[in-house]
Amino acid sequence: MAGTDERIKEMSPLRRALIRPELGGIVGTIAVFTFFLLTAFDSGMFNAQGTLNWSIVSAQFMIIAVGACLLMIAGEFDLSVGSMIGFSGMMIAIFSVTLGWPVWLAILATFAMAIAIGALNGFIVIRTGLPSFIVTLAFLFILRGFTIYLPQTIERKTIIGGIREVAEGDWLAPVFGGKILQGLFTWLGEVGLLATFERGTRAGQPVVDGVPMLIVWAIALVIFGHILLTKTRFGNWIYAAGGDAQAARYAGVPVNRVKILMFMFTAFCATVFATCQVMEFGSAGADRGLLKEFEAIIAVVIGGALLTGGYGSVIGAALGALIFGVVQQGLFFAGVESSLFRVFLGVILLGAVILNTYIRRLITGAR
Amino acid sequence: MTDTGARAPIIRMKNIEKHFGNVIALAGVSIDIHQGECHCLLGDNGAGKSTFIKTMSGVHQPTHGEILFEGQVMEFADPRDAIAAGIATVYQDLAMIPLMSVARNFFMGNEPIKTRLGIPFYDREYADRVTMEEMRNMGINLRGPDQAVGTLSGGERQTVAIARSVHFGAKVLILDEPTSALGVRQTSNVLATIDRVRKQGIAVVFITHNVRHALAAGDRFTVLNRGKTLGTAKRGEITPDALQDMMAGGQELAELEGSLGGTI
Amino acid sequence: MKTLISSLAVAAAVVASPMAAVSDGHDQLNYVLVSHAPDSDSWWNTIKNGIALAGEQMGVEVEYRNPPTGDLADMARIIEQAAAAGPNGIITTLSDYDVLRGPIQDAVASGIDVIIMNSGTPEQAREVGALMYVGQPEYDAGFAAGQRAKADGVGSFLCVNHYISSPSSVERCQGFADALGVDLGDQMIDSGQDPAEIKNRVLAYLNANPDTDAILTLGPTSADPTILALEENGMAGDIYFGTFDLGTEIVKGIKGDVINWGIDQQPFLQAYLPVVVLANYHRYGVLPGNNINSGPGFITKDALELVEQYAGEYR
Repeated sequence: MAGTDERIKEMSPLRRALIRPELGGIVGTIAVFTFFLLTAFDSGMFNAQGTLNWSIVSAQFMIIAVGACLLMIAGEFDLSVGSMIGFSGMMIAIFSVTLGWPVWLAILATFAMAIAIGALNGFIVIRTGLPSFIVTLAFLFILRGFTIYLPQTIERKTIIGGIREVAEGDWLAPVFGGKILQGLFTWLGEVGLLATFERGTRAGQPVVDGVPMLIVWAIALVIFGHILLTKTRFGNWIYAAGGDAQAARYAGVPVNRVKILMFMFTAFCATVFATCQVMEFGSAGADRGLLKEFEAIIAVVIGGALLTGGYGSVIGAALGALIFGVVQQGLFFAGVESSLFRVFLGVILLGAVILNTYIRRLITGAR
Repeated sequence: MTDTGARAPIIRMKNIEKHFGNVIALAGVSIDIHQGECHCLLGDNGAGKSTFIKTMSGVHQPTHGEILFEGQVMEFADPRDAIAAGIATVYQDLAMIPLMSVARNFFMGNEPIKTRLGIPFYDREYADRVTMEEMRNMGINLRGPDQAVGTLSGGERQTVAIARSVHFGAKVLILDEPTSALGVRQTSNVLATIDRVRKQGIAVVFITHNVRHALAAGDRFTVLNRGKTLGTAKRGEITPDALQDMMAGGQELAELEGSLGGTI
Repeated sequence: MKTLISSLAVAAAVVASPMAAVSDGHDQLNYVLVSHAPDSDSWWNTIKNGIALAGEQMGVEVEYRNPPTGDLADMARIIEQAAAAGPNGIITTLSDYDVLRGPIQDAVASGIDVIIMNSGTPEQAREVGALMYVGQPEYDAGFAAGQRAKADGVGSFLCVNHYISSPSSVERCQGFADALGVDLGDQMIDSGQDPAEIKNRVLAYLNANPDTDAILTLGPTSADPTILALEENGMAGDIYFGTFDLGTEIVKGIKGDVINWGIDQQPFLQAYLPVVVLANYHRYGVLPGNNINSGPGFITKDALELVEQYAGEYR
């Protein structure tokens, strides 16, 4: 048996590149940007406002995609992400506006509550052995129900506003709703590198006055998720738990703990999304976050993760979110009828899944 | 061939009984396992082999009887206790995760750590290097440490799993039907691996219902039937035919054999 | 990916072709209408037809956009996107002042003229710097409907709310209750969007509360299944039934004496007029001096002919 096995062919660099989960995402990103640079270049899509627009939308997808990605690699789904976004936002509003708590306390209490619900999700899945699909589907309805019922009962309306006012001067609110690099953008506006508002109270100010914390959170979560998954022991456990839970248990991996923690992390990501949204818009509504769970899962799948778990990449999911956001907003810029967006989404999703299946065959030796 | 009777056994299972409700799966099984021997556990389906090794590896707790490990009475609450004591089990199908790389599989649950800025990171360099070395020692040539386990053959996967257990200090290695789903060439590779491990002084418990595989690798043979042991024989003291008869409960098989015209 | 690109290109060509046709000596003007309605809401078809007709008649480019799920936060991103694309004007609903205020103000500040239509109030429209408001104030419309019902002897009612998450829906029911002088309380039910569910919830409510005087539905989505429910339990024509908005089934119901009246906010005007106003403002600098109330208009059995002919299309 010594020496090289003649049956194992040397892999070509191309094939080697192909078996990275990010490949689909990278190809898709290049294709999407090429397409919109050709068709929508002078539509305002790539000016400062336009770029910020699709960046924000992509960043939103990224935040929930990171959680969904790690959970999916760990072998589970969370369909309650969208409802969790609505619920968390509403809880922040109820705590801070209705109950008059300080905003920082409202945010922290909401995070604690959301993470506890995530843990409950995970606990039920582990304890009952039911598919997470069903358990989290139940929470999709439960949380959405409360999101409508609570404000309806307490405030007799389904949107609670006035959060911007109570958040003024709060130390924690700007971490979610603030902007950074404002000085840089003001300077860019002054020297004429950036368009400025033409009229009104903000005349002369740059059209983009900073990078929203939403984008900072998205980048931070992507980096955190990527390092956690690929560079730590826990990341290996995530892969193992999703690849084959029983085999992982036999090898001493605490599979239950890994899965429950990933449910909690997904809930955390949804709450980051909700908090950023509430702080930016100043109100929480019962319809926030509808169908966001599917958008997260779609971004993750476009990014190369397998629905069956055990394989995927956070960078891929982030690229999937970028593709999703750019296509969604870009179609508007390109002047395409908005009802066709779903058609494109379906086409991209199908293409991504087929590509991923092919990649998996390559990984497992084309058997 | 090896006289193991003189030294103290590493594991002594004494009069183990296991009841599941009113089903008696094991009705008093005793067995000694010594360092550096390959002890084959034979028996037909339903003989209690599986229950017995799960008791040994901490999955089940015995209803009666005791387990002595290196002379001490042990009570394993779960498989982690058994692994910590040095009893490793390689299951037939559940050994490896196909989509993960060989290196990540090898160190699964025992990932090496290097600390940077106070944060514990997975030491990939170390994991990759050790995996390549261990695989070379076992006679498997990898394209690279990031090659997915899914690209390995069934026999190679068993070998990786065995190498992993040995690397992490197993004193007793339980192999659950490692050869049952393999072809001829792969089977001989696995049997060669068992031989290599045994020579390192590790006790191997080899579960099989294939007499020829057992005779090729084993030093001693214990046959289970209907939850009881039918006795232990040393290599050379028993013929394949006798072993086969014991496994199937003797009489009927002899008749069947006659009508089929040869050894099954 | 290659198939994706080609399919995108084909679709872009299909959609773009009718837009490029118009040119009559003016600079090409283009306007974007942003609504808060999910894709599934058929009532907005009238709005789409209204802007399309106005665009054709005025010789301007028009586009209709909406958040697919009706999520208002997504709608804010669409307004931001529209502003970045730099059209001559944006026509938008203002269904949540907190969420949409910022994006609309930014659009106004970057030199785009904005008209608020359908949702929101004239005061809010002025606050965000819009040129005007075209629509039917929701609370006032509900209140006017309540006054009418009170005059007809109604004392209790059921409000079938099929889009409870939108505040304007609750305002309609609240206005109605306030005009009757009763507490809204449990008289408003969250019916969901599914016709079978709506029907069963109405049946269940009427079964549990047989003394209910009147039913108020908030649009075709809730009115159509409610008509079926009333036909099933035999209350059709007996119970007092008013509804917001119009649709084919509602018109039939009014004609068949099942529905006493429909409140027409005349959505066609909400879409059509802003385009006309903006085009004339941009071409000749003329602008009406006030907001435009497109409704409420009560539609009863009299004079149904035109309504019937164009229900669901322009009415």
